[in-house]
Amino acid sequence: MMLSDGDWLALWVGVKLAVVTTLILLLVCTPLAWWLARRRLPGQALLEALLALPLVLPPSVLGFYLLIGLGPNGPGGWLAQWGGVRSLAFSFTGLVIGSLVYSLPFVLQPLKNAFAAIETRQLDMAAVSGARPMDRFFSLVIPQARHGYASAVILGIAHTLGEFGVVLMIGGSLAGETRVASVALYEHVEAGDYASAHRLAAVLLVVSVLMLWALFRWQRKQQSTGVMP
Amino acid sequence: MSLTFSLSGQVGPCRLQAQAQLAANGVTVLFGPSGSGKSTLLRMLAGLQDCDGEIRFGDQLWQTDAATLPPWQRPLGMMFQEPTLFRHLSVRGNLDYVVKRRGASGGLDSVISQTRIEGLLERSVATLSGGEAQRVALARALLAGPELLLLDEPLSALDHGHKQELLKMISDIARQVPVIYVTHDLDELLTLSRQVWLMEQGRIVARGKAHEELARLDGPLAQRGDATALLYGELGDYDNRDHLQAVTVAQQTFWLPAAQPVAGEQPVRLRIAARDVSLCRQAPQDSSILNIHPVQVAALREVGPGQAVVQLALGDQRLLARISSRSARELEVFPGTRLYAQVKAVALG
Repeated sequence: MMLSDGDWLALWVGVKLAVVTTLILLLVCTPLAWWLARRRLPGQALLEALLALPLVLPPSVLGFYLLIGLGPNGPGGWLAQWGGVRSLAFSFTGLVIGSLVYSLPFVLQPLKNAFAAIETRQLDMAAVSGARPMDRFFSLVIPQARHGYASAVILGIAHTLGEFGVVLMIGGSLAGETRVASVALYEHVEAGDYASAHRLAAVLLVVSVLMLWALFRWQRKQQSTGVMP
Repeated sequence: MSLTFSLSGQVGPCRLQAQAQLAANGVTVLFGPSGSGKSTLLRMLAGLQDCDGEIRFGDQLWQTDAATLPPWQRPLGMMFQEPTLFRHLSVRGNLDYVVKRRGASGGLDSVISQTRIEGLLERSVATLSGGEAQRVALARALLAGPELLLLDEPLSALDHGHKQELLKMISDIARQVPVIYVTHDLDELLTLSRQVWLMEQGRIVARGKAHEELARLDGPLAQRGDATALLYGELGDYDNRDHLQAVTVAQQTFWLPAAQPVAGEQPVRLRIAARDVSLCRQAPQDSSILNIHPVQVAALREVGPGQAVVQLALGDQRLLARISSRSARELEVFPGTRLYAQVKAVALG
């Protein structure tokens, strides 16, 4: 079963997009999730609703607004001028921005749950053991939230790889730049090339199953060794 | 080093206001009912709970109106009611966590043997029993090289055997380091304490020597159903035939059942529960009770319907007796009355 060069390229763009997006989201969501999980501030419910919106909003709606926002007349276009281009739409950078919004809740939610599950007593004990706040975060919070990080990474990558509606709206299908595997698959079907479509779909299916299987297996193993309940 | 503080703060619906000075070493028990603010006061002293006021420890200012020393800079060791071991680390990892940050690795081996956790070092903390976990928590608190230990009901979840073992360790440690020990368990107060602070509704209502506070009729301790007096005595002879140990208190000899001669530091402490003491006008003849001593009534107080507690002078020490109000009337128990106290049970410790 061989994929065409174009399909390999589309897979590569998708993987690159997924990895870049997930890494940025981990950096952004770590402080955000900590703040949401451990503080109670006015307006928090509204903020959480907005952040969770990509879970329920049709991707094409999200994609449409992103298209406007990233286009030459939106704030994205204004930003793009600094980089010497006309628009962020139909570019890899634009796709990354779109994916950040689209996949944010999939990274944020597991981190938030993991942070909320950390007992305040553990943090207090670390404080009287001599650990400053930043030290506590790296020596206690992150190791104890590692389940949450594993889920966040896998869900972030898997969800970004599976992105379709948003990509189609703001990325189009430029080979090597914005054509990802799901879009390539759609084009194979449109062109009636079911053999190529089958091969690409099978690859995406297997990759998704493998990632989720790895996640659940790891979680199960952690539970049975009793390191953390 | 001495600790002096004057603090106030609001926690939920409760207002806490407390000031006191702590003895240089030994255990000070912070005693009071649940919800009286004991744990909150301890958290304030550790810097884990915001409050107003001042805390001075030796020549260090831990808290003033202007500034607060954060908990990680206070030379403290602490234990909570739950062991609160770091769940992602092994036993050794838990100890290293403190050593790395407080730099007291010199004492590592001696602390490990003192708390008898040699065999636990490579274990995951989730596999420890309650007693083992608290021994590790105690070791971790000691490795902070503390100049003050704050222990918040650390033994409340343990069974009797483990409790006694840890109480012994804590008493030994308190020879070098001052300890503030929070509890609502009278047995722990009796075992540990020379000094006691009584706490009620967010305030320290009494401070003093444990044996004096226990015997004070206007205080909360003597009015409890399990009120107990603490007496100090010297070890005397041991009766091999009947397995009885003599202890002399104010020139009176108390006999205690003991399987073998009691050894240990002098003076020894005797616990006598108020309900194990009965009173008579004349020295009873032919009684099965071994310990019958002449006493003088120092004070009397009604506690609850039909019940009275009598404070009895035995030399300059104080014994308590809980009797019915009717007996008090019929025996004509008044301050100054000379009586005989029959003591049904005495315990060491």
